[in-house]
Amino acid sequence: MQERTIEDRLRQEYFELLPDIRRVESHLRALIQFQTLPILRQLGTHEQLIIKSRVKDCESAINALRRRTKEGKRREFASFDRNRPEDYSLLDLKDLAAVRVLAFPLTRLGEIDEALRPLFPDWTPDPIPDGMGGALAQKYYGFCPDLENKVQGEYQVVSMLTGLFWEVEHAAIYKPNPDLKGAERNSGLEELTQEVYRALANFDTGFARTISQRKT
Amino acid sequence: MKENILRDADYVYHFDRELYFNRGARKVFSAEFIADHREDEITRSIEEPGTGNGWMFYANSPIPASIQQELESVLG
Repeated sequence: MQERTIEDRLRQEYFELLPDIRRVESHLRALIQFQTLPILRQLGTHEQLIIKSRVKDCESAINALRRRTKEGKRREFASFDRNRPEDYSLLDLKDLAAVRVLAFPLTRLGEIDEALRPLFPDWTPDPIPDGMGGALAQKYYGFCPDLENKVQGEYQVVSMLTGLFWEVEHAAIYKPNPDLKGAERNSGLEELTQEVYRALANFDTGFARTISQRKT
Repeated sequence: MKENILRDADYVYHFDRELYFNRGARKVFSAEFIADHREDEITRSIEEPGTGNGWMFYANSPIPASIQQELESVLG
């Protein structure tokens, strides 16, 4: 009989874990929604706060594991070592269940981040770098409090403009065309993406400044 | 720029395996190797004579035999 591939074994693991992943996603989302309610109630008419969550799909999870080590480093040649199937488990991924908190304008981000931190004191901070020495988004991962589960969760607090750009970028580059995976690394797209980040941040801060000047 | 050095030497990026390769020269560079080495080091590696048979792999850490075999089969 033909031996099962690492990918086949990981697919089985994924569907065994799926109920747990879903549980973490809904638990994490509910906790974050509840904790941000006081901020939501105070939002001005020009402000927005949206909470989104997702369960990573099976093939994305396997590809993510193929590309990154448990420590989050890139795996050279994005390949599994076929002689060491025991080295790979989807439980090494930190974002099987994930929540993203989107806020506009970005002046609310610090407040949201501070409101959520006490809920997850043991979670590991893993900010997303902006390529210019700062952070595009605050990101944390760990095990859900009050929930016995072997699956880790992740949440991000990010400017709504950046978060929505990510959705378009991800859908355009990663999902429909596997050949474009990694395209941002060598086709000039990386530079263009940096320009988009700068423009969105400028709009965000400029808008917030205008609103604040009108209030005074 | 590193990208230009590779492009000028006819290296192509393999999106799925995150590597640069040149079938004529039979050389492969991992994206991590390129990121972690200086331009002059990359140029030197490109100019280094090939083995004549088989692929030459440039990586930051030793490549397991099974991965090397798989990549050779993917690259043809």
